Amino acid sequence: MKWLWVPLGAYFALPLVATAVMSLWQGAHGYGFEAYARLIHTPEMWHSLLLSTRLAIETIIAGLVILVPAVFWMNLRVPTLRPLFDFVSVLPLVVPAISLVAGITAIYTGPDWFVGTANFLVVPYVILALPYTYRALDVGMRALDLRTLTEAAQSLGASWPTMILRVLVPNLVTALLGAALLTMTIVIGEFTFASILLFNTFAVYINHIGSTSATRAAALSLLAFLITWLAMLGVALGGRRAAR
Amino acid sequence: MSSLEAVSLRKVYGGRTVLADVSLSLGEGEFVSLLGPSGCGKTTLLRLVAGFERPDGGRVLLDGRDITGVPAAKRNMGMVFQAYSLFPNMTAEENVGFGLRVRGEANDARRKRAREMLELVGLGEHTHKYPHQLSGGQQQRVALGRALAIRPALLLLDEPLSALDARVRVQLRDEIRRIQREIGVAALFVTHDQEEALSISDRVAVMEQGRIAQLGEPAAIYEEPESLFVARFVGQMAEFDAEIDAGGVRIAGHTLPAARAAGHAPGERVHFFLRPEHVRLVAPADGLPGLVESRTFNGPTTTFRIMLAGAGTVLATLPTSEARHAPGETVGISWDPSAPRILKLGKTPPPQEA
Repeated sequence: MKWLWVPLGAYFALPLVATAVMSLWQGAHGYGFEAYARLIHTPEMWHSLLLSTRLAIETIIAGLVILVPAVFWMNLRVPTLRPLFDFVSVLPLVVPAISLVAGITAIYTGPDWFVGTANFLVVPYVILALPYTYRALDVGMRALDLRTLTEAAQSLGASWPTMILRVLVPNLVTALLGAALLTMTIVIGEFTFASILLFNTFAVYINHIGSTSATRAAALSLLAFLITWLAMLGVALGGRRAAR
Repeated sequence: MSSLEAVSLRKVYGGRTVLADVSLSLGEGEFVSLLGPSGCGKTTLLRLVAGFERPDGGRVLLDGRDITGVPAAKRNMGMVFQAYSLFPNMTAEENVGFGLRVRGEANDARRKRAREMLELVGLGEHTHKYPHQLSGGQQQRVALGRALAIRPALLLLDEPLSALDARVRVQLRDEIRRIQREIGVAALFVTHDQEEALSISDRVAVMEQGRIAQLGEPAAIYEEPESLFVARFVGQMAEFDAEIDAGGVRIAGHTLPAARAAGHAPGERVHFFLRPEHVRLVAPADGLPGLVESRTFNGPTTTFRIMLAGAGTVLATLPTSEARHAPGETVGISWDPSAPRILKLGKTPPPQEA
């Protein structure tokens, strides 16, 4: 079955190679890094990338602060609620993004620093990332003997916050990194919410460039790939260190 | 003065009474085992003492102070669990020091204490190893060191040996006892293994269906079971229906010697119990006759299974050097008159032959 690798490899490699070639095209027979150079000197690109990165970090923090204690509590005390958690966690995949946007904009009102700025996007992003964050955390926690570990920590005098920070979190490093990476890729690539709510995130910017300059759009796509790959590399290395 | 006192503890799970009015007290430095089959409530009792469960009735006192409502984290009890419970992200030394770190003890003092504890449990060489680099027995040693590092008021052991190999189990069992004596901390030990309970305890509480069936020194539990349950649960015993007769008991038409028959009225129906090691094999005419069914070699001892005419089977364990009979042979069995145990007929039917 070794020959199978050839079409499979081509299937994955060809679009990337084609995108790379496209990003280097400078019109007629000229090839070079002009598209990249122009991108790097575009402040809007940096603003959108920075905004998306900031939103990703905020989403990761908010998602984990909500979900780590919730999944911990479910696994430890009410495993009978697991079907409910499973069901709720896949809802964001079932409900189309467009109805989420419509629903959320109607329901959420609040102070201007929150609703009036891009920070507002963190709310739908936490929901969008929920299926992935929940899965990663649940798998990580199920691999631990939570009950014995928490009881051991309790009998040694640890409070709940101490237990979560000193015992639970360090043993979930791989799961947490996985959840963080998935959230990061979702937020950086998310288009619907940002576009409809009129925020200029990275994905919105890629779309905008795509309609104005094909070569720069190709270059930007490759850059986005690079960011994802670096993040994955980080998770892999972090996971290896944690597994020690 | 007693260090732990459990007073009329009761626990109900979904309508099922798991513990019914159990009272137990531990003296200072005393080692007490809770022994019983699974589901008898021994682990629940330990968890109530540890504070992981709240009782539905009764109180827990520690050195005279009522701690019934005190959460587990504030009880200052060291606990060793059945499952491996070391924190996987910490070295042996960090695990042992965890309780002290939570208590805000200074780094140097904490490290010194952790090292001492690891020395005490025989792991002075392994301070920087992670749990996954240690064997099961070593992990339980670290867990013991961790439980003792906080200078607990009471040591709780929840079947800490059940996941280990037989050889390690015996070794660690003796060591737990040595260390517990050395430190002088009172200990409550849960086990379903009677040999474990009998060999290391000051006192054993045999539990049956949420109650303590008998509480006493290991020898008393073994030699003088007070109920049918204890007689059947602890050690092996041959059991016969018998009738009290002048000077002994009548079994299957034979009058046999039994010193304890003196406490019962002639004609009373009783249970008659005899341990394999008390059975002597003699000439058929000198005892109760029977047929050797099988012979099992155990190393230092040999066990015979003997079918008695009209009375059932009895096991006889003899030193191998004295075991001369072969299956198919007819022998007589006899015993020292003080050996058999006699109990009044209970409501429970005799056990089915396995």
